[in-house]
Amino acid sequence: MIDIVPPAFIFILGAILLPLLRERRLRQIFQLLIPLIALIDLLYMPKGTYWVYNFLGYDLILGRVDKLSMCFGYVFVIVAFVGMVYALHVREVGQHTAAFLYIGSALGVVFAGDIFTLYVFWEIMAISSVFLIWYQRDKAALDAGFRYIMVHIFGGCALLAGIIIHVSNTGSTNFGFIEYGGLASQLILLGFIINAAVPPFHAWLSDAYPEATVTGSVFLTAFTTKSTVYVLLRTFPGVEILVWLGAIMAVYGVAYAVLENDIRRLLAYHIISQVGYMVAGVGLGTEMSMNGSTAHAFCHILYKALLFMGAGAVIYVTGRRKLTELQGRNLYKKMPIALSLYMIGAFSISAVPLFNGFISKTMVIAASAELDRPIIYLLLHLASIGTFLHTGLKLPYGIWFGRVPKGETIEEEETEATEPPLNMLIAMGMAAFLCILTGVYPKILYNILPYSVHFHPYTLNHVVGMMQLLLLTAAAFWLYIDKLGGEPKISVDTDWFYRKPGVLLLWFVSNPMQDLRLRLQSFFTKMVANVASLSKNPILLPEITVRYFYLKIISRLYQASDTYKDKADELKELESRLDAVKEMRYDENIYRRPIGLGVLIAIILLFLYGLIYFIRLR
Amino acid sequence: MGRKLKYIFFISIAVSILVGFFIPSEHVHFWWEKIPAFDAIFGFLGCIVIVLGSKALGHHGIQKDEDYYD
Repeated sequence: MIDIVPPAFIFILGAILLPLLRERRLRQIFQLLIPLIALIDLLYMPKGTYWVYNFLGYDLILGRVDKLSMCFGYVFVIVAFVGMVYALHVREVGQHTAAFLYIGSALGVVFAGDIFTLYVFWEIMAISSVFLIWYQRDKAALDAGFRYIMVHIFGGCALLAGIIIHVSNTGSTNFGFIEYGGLASQLILLGFIINAAVPPFHAWLSDAYPEATVTGSVFLTAFTTKSTVYVLLRTFPGVEILVWLGAIMAVYGVAYAVLENDIRRLLAYHIISQVGYMVAGVGLGTEMSMNGSTAHAFCHILYKALLFMGAGAVIYVTGRRKLTELQGRNLYKKMPIALSLYMIGAFSISAVPLFNGFISKTMVIAASAELDRPIIYLLLHLASIGTFLHTGLKLPYGIWFGRVPKGETIEEEETEATEPPLNMLIAMGMAAFLCILTGVYPKILYNILPYSVHFHPYTLNHVVGMMQLLLLTAAAFWLYIDKLGGEPKISVDTDWFYRKPGVLLLWFVSNPMQDLRLRLQSFFTKMVANVASLSKNPILLPEITVRYFYLKIISRLYQASDTYKDKADELKELESRLDAVKEMRYDENIYRRPIGLGVLIAIILLFLYGLIYFIRLR
Repeated sequence: MGRKLKYIFFISIAVSILVGFFIPSEHVHFWWEKIPAFDAIFGFLGCIVIVLGSKALGHHGIQKDEDYYD
C-alpha cells in the first residue's frame, strides 16, 4: 500500500518529471496518468486535518479534507484529465508543465488548512497560469499576459497585506471564517475578488483568456476563478456586499457578451457572469445558497471547459477567432460532431432541463427566493436569459450557421475545415457526458455537496418555468437575429483604466522623467568630480575656499563698478593662482604639522562626543 | 427542414405556456409568480432589454475600433 500524498504534490512532481521524458508516447501516457493517480489519491484521502508541518512557529497545513474541499478537489482533477486529453496533441512540453503546476497549485489552495499555505499556492497559481497565455507566442498574448500577471500580483499583494494584518491582530493563521469589517478583512476580500473577476476588477479575465493557447484556455477557465469561489465559501459566507457584487457581475458579463465579436472573449464574459451566481450564493450565506455555489462551480467547470474546447476546436481548425471572420463558411456541414458537443455545453450553461446547469443554477436562484430578495432574484434570472441568448443561440449560430451580410464577400478558404483531432473530440465527449450525467442524475453531485440538500430541481414548476423563459428568449433572438451578428469592434472595459493611462505613464517616464534623470546624473557627476579633486589635498581646503570666494567677490565688484575690462588681467592672474593651488599635491615634506595638532583635534572631538552623550543621558 | 423547425418551435412555445396555466404554483415567494406565464413574458422582454440596452451602450461609447489600444 502506497501512502497517500497531498494531491498538489502529485501534479507538481509531474510538472518536474514531465520535461525529462524524451519519448513523445511515453510523455502522453504520463500526462494522462498523473490526473488518474491524483483521482485515486483523492478517493483514499480520509476526512480530517493532516500533513501539518511546523515552520517558524506556524503550522502549515497541507491537508484539510472535508466535504467542501473534496467537492472542489474532485472536479479539479476531473477537468485536469479532460483538459490533458484535449491537449494531448500539443508537442510543446512547457505548456503541459505549466498546466500541471497550475492544476497542482489550485489543488493546493483547495486543501490548504492555513492562510500561509493558501497564499503560497495562490501565488504559484498566478505565475504558472500566465505561461498558458504566453505560449501563444504572439504580441497580443504577450501583452495580455503581462497585464494579467500584474493584476494578479497586485491582488496577491493586497491579500498578503491583509493576511499579515489579520495574523498580527488575531494571532491565528487558521484559514476559515473571517469576520468582515476592518482593514485586514477588506484587503483579504479585495485580493479574493480580484481573482474572482468581480467588476470592476474583472477585466484581466476577458482580456487574457481569449489570448491564451487553444488548449491552455481550457485549464484557465477551470481553476483561478473557481478556487476563488472556494476560498470565498470558506472565509466570507454571508457577507452582504458579495450578494450585490455577484448579481451585478452576472448581468455585467452578459451585457458585454452582446457586443463581443471574439468567440472566446464572448465565452470569457460568460465566465464572469456565471461566477456572479456563485459569488451571490456565497453572499446569501444559507446552506442552500452555499450548496448552490459549490454545485454551480462544479457544473460550471465542466460545461465551460466544454464550451472553450468547442470554440478552441473551431479556432484550431480554421485559424479564425472572430464571428465576422467565421460567417458564411457553413461550418455546421464540416464539423457536425464538434457542433453537437458544443451545444451540450451551451444547453448546460443555459440551464436547459436535463443538463447540469439546470440543477445548480436554479439552486442559487431558489436560495435568493427563499430569503425574499426580489431584486437579486430578478437580476439572476435576467442573466440566465442573456446566457442562453449568447452561448446557446448567438454564438453557435454565428460560428456554424452564420450568413454573410448582404453586399459583403468572404475570402476563399485555403484549406477545407474538418473535424478537429480525435483527442479533442474525445475530451469534449467526456465533458459532455459528465454534463448530461450530472444533469440527469443530480444525486451524484448533491451527495458530495457540503450540506445536505433539500432541493428538487425537477418539479413541474421549475421545468415549465425554465422552458418558457428559454423558448421566449429564443423567440426574441429570432426577432433581432440581424442585429446580433458580430461587429468588427472591440469593447472598452475597465482595463481601459490601466491600458490607456499606462501608455501615458510610459510617455511620462520616458520623456520628462528621463530628462530629469539625465540632469540629476550630470549634476551629481560634477559634484563627485569636484569632491574628488578637493579631497586630493584636504589641507589646502581653507586656502582654496578663501581664494575662490575672494575671486568671486572681486569679480562681482569689478562688474558692478564697470571697471571689469580694465581689471581682466588681474582676475586672470587670480584665477590661475587658484588653479595652481588646486593642482598642488599633498606632500608630507611640505605639510609637516606638530603632533600636538592631531591630539588637540582628537580631544575636541572627544569633548563634543561626551557633551552629546551627557545631554542625551539627561 | 427550416419550416418544420419553425412549427416545432411555435408549438413548443404554445405548449409550455398552456401547461403553465394548469400546474398549481407552489412555494410562491414573490407576487409575480402568481401571474400565469410570467417566465415567458420575462424571457421575451428581458431578452429585448438586454439586446437593445447593450447595443445602445455599445454604440454610445463602449465599442471602439479594433486598433484602439495599438
